[in-house]
Amino acid sequence: MNGRELGRLTLVILLFVVVQETVMLDLRIGGVHPDIMVLLPIVAGIIGGPARGATIGFGTGLVSDLFLPTPFGLSALVGCLIGFAVGLATQALDRTAGWLAPVAALAGSAIYEVTYGALGSVLGQPQMLHVALVRIIVVVSVTNAVLAVPAVRLMTWGMARASTEGMPMSDTGVGVAR
Amino acid sequence: MVTSGVRSVASDAFTPVRSGVNAIVEPIGSFLAGSVHYGAVREQNQKLQAEIDQLKMQDASAADQAAALQQLTALLHLPYLANLQTVPAEVTDFGTSDFAATIDIDVGRADGIQLDMPVVGSGGLVGQVVEVSHHTATVRMVTDGQSSVGVRYGPPPGSLAVLDGAGAGKPLNADLVPTNTALTDGEVFTTSGLQGALFPPGIPVARVVASHTGATASQESVSLQPLADLAHLRYVSVVLWGSGS
Repeated sequence: MNGRELGRLTLVILLFVVVQETVMLDLRIGGVHPDIMVLLPIVAGIIGGPARGATIGFGTGLVSDLFLPTPFGLSALVGCLIGFAVGLATQALDRTAGWLAPVAALAGSAIYEVTYGALGSVLGQPQMLHVALVRIIVVVSVTNAVLAVPAVRLMTWGMARASTEGMPMSDTGVGVAR
Repeated sequence: MVTSGVRSVASDAFTPVRSGVNAIVEPIGSFLAGSVHYGAVREQNQKLQAEIDQLKMQDASAADQAAALQQLTALLHLPYLANLQTVPAEVTDFGTSDFAATIDIDVGRADGIQLDMPVVGSGGLVGQVVEVSHHTATVRMVTDGQSSVGVRYGPPPGSLAVLDGAGAGKPLNADLVPTNTALTDGEVFTTSGLQGALFPPGIPVARVVASHTGATASQESVSLQPLADLAHLRYVSVVLWGSGS
């Protein structure tokens, strides 16, 4: 990762943090607020493949952890796993397909929230499985599916070196011209 | 401790950003909402409608201020805090995570707030400070699954129990209440003052809403409702109470 990419990624992550901590925290649907920070490892996995999805997922998770009362490092761990999983699952798919990002965001967000609750429970916070998990999954997954396409565009801009393992950027088709 | 420090620095750094963005976003949101609303009103009724809206807004604002005043007045006259120093605080956010029952308040280390200090509302105990930055703090509410509060109930000197949180919006569960204990609905449990004196004694925590003894249970199953209205908190008081005070 060169300095240019790091700078762009930092800007994208900062934008997501600001929107999450200002707009999204005030937006409650059925008592649950959307979580667009979950989108970052997912779109990084789609664009960059499993290895870069995991790396960026870990980094964005650490940033999320700074603002959460849950165990520090939990978002980083889950972000790393989800970034890797989404990258792996979408590697063989047609990345020019318009449905890919919303579907990956929908499924990835649902898996993220379940994993987050389960790992939190394993790490000594059993109450994390006793929340309104279904409601959280529905709200976070649906909002992230809606926001997936612009998120992919932003992350494509942020990941200046966005080619995936064995797949040049020109073939991915998920981004926009930089 | 290290992560707590990092979180504190992040919170200190981000607070002005959050305030700044909110200051920009909120008027835009209000403007857009207003445009949509008034666009639907026919031209000949616009002036009248505007006046009605203004009156409604004034009425809502007055009701809002009355509610805030009521909460603040109630906080100033809490009998169980008679000899304890407190710092009033405004609730700025209801939980940054859907997986924890927490609130953010607008006081921090600069106001004398420290970790583990109890926080009370007009009805009773709200929770405990779990994160502190320079000008803000995070409070874990009694309903959070990680919350445990040592309590006393029954006629003096009272029996001891522990109230465990079960998640936001859910009733508290009492632990260590012997089977066939005579409990009446509405009976109030107060902080015991034990538990390493994490909480001062005598703060009302919750009232009994249901209790029963299972056929093979080793203790009474008791559900309690927090006395503080945790869903509508606007102002709270942080009790300047250190463990072992």
